Amino acid sequence: MKMVIYGAIIVGIVPVQSVLLPHLTLWGVKPDLGVVAVCLIGLISGELDGLLVGVAVGWALSLFSAQDVIIGAMLKGSLGFVAGLAGRQMVYLSPLVLVSGLLVVSCLVGLVTPVVLRLNPQQDLWWAIWNVALPQACLDAVIGGAIYWLMWSQFNIEQLMSESRM
Amino acid sequence: MWMVNLRVTSNARRVALVLAVVLILGFLLLPGQLQSVFHGVGGPLGWIISWPLRVVAGVHDRIAGVWGGYVALQGMEEENRQLKRELELLKEQNGQLRESAAATERLATLLEFKKQALPTLIAAQVIGRDTGNWYKTIILDKGASDGIQADQGVITPAGVVGRIVKTTASTSVVLLVTDPNNAIAGLIQRTRDEGIVEGTTQGQARLKYIPLLSGARPGDRVVTSGLVEGFPRGLAIGTITRIDKEEEALFQSAELSPEVDPSRVEEVLVIQSSPVPTEKERLSMPRPKL
Repeated sequence: MKMVIYGAIIVGIVPVQSVLLPHLTLWGVKPDLGVVAVCLIGLISGELDGLLVGVAVGWALSLFSAQDVIIGAMLKGSLGFVAGLAGRQMVYLSPLVLVSGLLVVSCLVGLVTPVVLRLNPQQDLWWAIWNVALPQACLDAVIGGAIYWLMWSQFNIEQLMSESRM
Repeated sequence: MWMVNLRVTSNARRVALVLAVVLILGFLLLPGQLQSVFHGVGGPLGWIISWPLRVVAGVHDRIAGVWGGYVALQGMEEENRQLKRELELLKEQNGQLRESAAATERLATLLEFKKQALPTLIAAQVIGRDTGNWYKTIILDKGASDGIQADQGVITPAGVVGRIVKTTASTSVVLLVTDPNNAIAGLIQRTRDEGIVEGTTQGQARLKYIPLLSGARPGDRVVTSGLVEGFPRGLAIGTITRIDKEEEALFQSAELSPEVDPSRVEEVLVIQSSPVPTEKERLSMPRPKL
């Protein structure tokens, strides 16, 4: 069942991100569902799942972008791995904590990405913070929080977290 | 819970750690090889993903079509679309005529006429936008199996859209002319001064490295110079809106308003073969026997 869900996320994230999300933008910036999905999977299912799904999601998204494939896969894979490690330290994860965490993590990813991608000098760090990283982090946090709140109200997340790691 | 988790998942943790280390080492030590592996295996993955992508894009286009055609003033929408099409065609014709006139003048004086080979064009539809926020790209519904390759130029009847940067079997990614990471060789149509057209972060374009003595002025049209692979000479890129001349600078630059609005483009043409031979082709070309 878990494999089916992961497969659906990997295959379905590209159409959603490239066709539907351009209609949901904040100052021309759309949320990165990849960051949200990988963080949630890492937190709930652990670092191995986070790493593997992160690599696959980053790879799939990079295939349909001008972004370097390896960098995309490595960034999302590392994010999933770190989320898995962070999830291990938590016994209880409230939506508020998750929203704040996603805001910080998405901001950090937004700061690292332009440096790693070696973009044009016009797209310097200051431009990246104000024009991409911050709006994207806000959207990621809101969407991540909403998804987690939905899951939280429907399932017992703590039980899911411990079960999925067995 | 902490103790239980540690004991039960120690194996998974070890696997995750080993995988992470292998990936990081591969990234640091063998980036080229890792890149080719990811690209090679990415073919089937891209092919699988292209199916839901087409379905979602199709549904999206239908909904957008219904909304645009029936809900939002059907008659006006159609008339506007027709007028835009006509305007694009006329602009293209005008650009071509200007270019032809200039070329005829030059060629007549040189007494050497070389017929330009017409490029082969592949029509493609836009099915999506970039999956991230760092690049300005569009996704096309044609890919490597249709003969599309990286570095091929992409145009509409109105002018240049961008350049192919990535392909899967059935899709391709176009880096738009308005992206700061794109560079196309350009030429001011009136003064014949050459430069490099680069995108800006404001979604416009800029012609760089214009000679200081150039008489370029706002309103001048910039076209492709045909000096690089992908684009033949004379395709409209944009119109100069402002000239920037800094003191003690070696060159001047100009701000351009792109001829094509990339956010509204729906159908494009990919230039499959360029009349300009590459360096390799030129070197391997058989010499005529005397």
